[in-house]
Amino acid sequence: NTGNERQTERRRGGNRRKYPSSSPLSPPSSPPYDRVPAAVRGWIFPVTRIYLHFFILSPVHFSSISLYLSRFLPRSIRSAADIISTVEFNHTGELLATGDKGGRVVIFQREPECKTEPFSQGEYNVYSTFQSHEPEFDYLKSLEIEEKINKIRWLPQQNAAHFLLSTNDKTIKLWKVSERDKRPEGYNLKDEEGRMKDLSTVTSLQVPVLKPMDLMVEVSPRRVFANAHTYHVNSISVNSDHETYMSADDLRINLWHLGITDRSFNIVDIKPVNMEDLTEVITAAEFHPHHCNLFVYSSSKGTLRLCDMRESALCDKHSKLFEEPEDPSNRSFFSEIISSVSDVKFSHSGRYLLTRDYLTAKVWDLNMENKPLEIYQVHDYLRSKLCSLYENDCIFDKFECAWNGSDSVIMTGAYNNFFRMFDRNTKRDVTLEASRESSKPRAVLKPRRVCQGGKRRKDDISVDSLDFTKKILHTAWHPTENIIAIAATNNLYIFQDKLNQEMHG
Amino acid sequence: MGQRDIISYETSVRRKSGIRTAAKMCRLDVESAVKGHEQHVNIIPSSRYMVGRGVKRKLSECEDPTLDLPYPQQRQMVLDLCLNKLQSCQRRAEPSLHRSVLLANTLRQIQREMRQEGVLHSLESPPPAPSLPQALAAQRQSPEVAPTPSDRPDTPVATFSPSPLCEDDNAVSGCIGLHKRPWSEDDGKSPDLLLGSFEITNSTSYLTDLQLDDIFEDIDTSMYDPSDFSVLACPSPRVNSGSSLGSDDNLKAFSSSSALQVCLNDLDHIMEILVRS
Repeated sequence: NTGNERQTERRRGGNRRKYPSSSPLSPPSSPPYDRVPAAVRGWIFPVTRIYLHFFILSPVHFSSISLYLSRFLPRSIRSAADIISTVEFNHTGELLATGDKGGRVVIFQREPECKTEPFSQGEYNVYSTFQSHEPEFDYLKSLEIEEKINKIRWLPQQNAAHFLLSTNDKTIKLWKVSERDKRPEGYNLKDEEGRMKDLSTVTSLQVPVLKPMDLMVEVSPRRVFANAHTYHVNSISVNSDHETYMSADDLRINLWHLGITDRSFNIVDIKPVNMEDLTEVITAAEFHPHHCNLFVYSSSKGTLRLCDMRESALCDKHSKLFEEPEDPSNRSFFSEIISSVSDVKFSHSGRYLLTRDYLTAKVWDLNMENKPLEIYQVHDYLRSKLCSLYENDCIFDKFECAWNGSDSVIMTGAYNNFFRMFDRNTKRDVTLEASRESSKPRAVLKPRRVCQGGKRRKDDISVDSLDFTKKILHTAWHPTENIIAIAATNNLYIFQDKLNQEMHG
Repeated sequence: MGQRDIISYETSVRRKSGIRTAAKMCRLDVESAVKGHEQHVNIIPSSRYMVGRGVKRKLSECEDPTLDLPYPQQRQMVLDLCLNKLQSCQRRAEPSLHRSVLLANTLRQIQREMRQEGVLHSLESPPPAPSLPQALAAQRQSPEVAPTPSDRPDTPVATFSPSPLCEDDNAVSGCIGLHKRPWSEDDGKSPDLLLGSFEITNSTSYLTDLQLDDIFEDIDTSMYDPSDFSVLACPSPRVNSGSSLGSDDNLKAFSSSSALQVCLNDLDHIMEILVRS
């Protein structure tokens, strides 16, 4: 039947997108133009930059999770534009979107199970690539607006098509990602190229028919939400009502209806009357996953504010303020900078908040405002290096954080291509490395250790040899399964849980 | 303010009456210099700087060369870096507000700390004022201090030169140049400034270069009578030797105070720019 045909075609399409990867560092010889009709070429880009390399690693046991590298997606051309700036799974985990500094969005799709290739199940392959934002120039302010994608958020799927929001510093765009495997042929009034025929030549009745064709992924811009932000947009978050979303910049948060582009409501404004009094900016904001009236935003002073939109139209007064009293013994010149919250995420349950500051990740209970429930040290060995990190600007890096599907494990990035996981129940933690060199095929993905003086074990890495240019800022966890996506500068790594693999395989 | 908080000041030898002090400084300095030669750079147990407060973070484990410096110098360096970063922020097309705010807050914090210390140690200085220019005035009159452990009251810890060096020709030109610095594209001066403020901490270098005293002869420093200060002092041990740092003789005329004033002036300008956006 039609459903099976469609599936087959898609699988064929998927295979076609897969490049041979004998040498992982050489680009594919002839990048296929991926069924791009001229009419839509403006929105569909051939996959020339990304090719796939496949690793299988034995599991490393971390609590119940054992990970192996499933996908390594390097960019063959190393340029600043290729640096991945955001990673986001959709609500089912079937799709994974990445945005980069060059304004491109690459969407990966999880391949359906395949018996002939046992390890290919769960593999993510390139599904579509498109240019979301272009560099712009603000003539009024005489400013260049970067095309860098700051955030991507998927809308919950409501029909066959997928929708996502992408934003750069100023403009948010809504994109529709849809598949087409049939096209209408035999129009009566239009010729093959869509032009109107001379009506005098139309003599007989003709009904267009749908003819099957190669599966094509179409991406089209649906809405452009512009001119609402004076400062840099740092977050977007889709509301659980599926109708609205919010966008936050340094000083304001706006509420939008997904269908209306010409107006938005300002729900938070922390801009002081006199900018001289400015000591705090908004660093991230997110809606509650279930209660559409609640949202949280974090600040550069390390605080979290929970706001209830039912209380007033302008949420100047927070409902709850989450703030940890400062520890005087840790006071330094850089206390202010390192306490700035770089990311805030609600747990899937909506009960907890996960925040990341420069040195720690913290879990907050919505019912306890005076201190975090749990504090996890991400790289405490850097505490004595803050002066250097300040000097080389690393101290301003904004690390993101992620929950696993059951809210029992949290993950966040670090330097030297390391990323950290913390099991909230067992209190165990692990440092893993996203590196093609150190992870041999079918070898154990070893936990890494950073040694701080004292005894140094084999394979330990000393604090001094950490590479601060290799930083993992963006990570994402599959909404239900133990699949994680790690953006390491301009490479994307996808790790999968081995147990998960066996369970499904 | 207890006796344990009293700090030694490096009174740059700008007046004849200071020489006696300087001799004492010299003697103590020899000890520390010998010690310094033996143990090289890490001679300063960080606790010496930290224990006075008891709240500062530990520094001893830092391999960071900057953190081997005494607390005021560290602070000065952070301050200078802050200013440099803020300036480079401003040069960008659209500066990151987040970053600017973090830097400005750090500046404010350092400034607040310096002002408090200044007020503590100089009775004639005006009370803490909210605005930067006033703070500057306070800073001008109040020497900077750093904590010192109670058990070693005569330990050389912090260095500070209370002389209004801007009256000196060299220093004035330096000041003007520095005032221009934020708006000029030339960044060459900032490292010099940084080094200049460190340079002065090496007291023996100016004691040996006695001709430098001549530069200061014309300056009326009567308002900065060393007897105002309960402990007079010796310089910090040679954590930064003159050879490894800037060697421009003019720079020796800079004291950390003048550098500080200039920095605070810069801060004024930067804050103006910041708030204009």
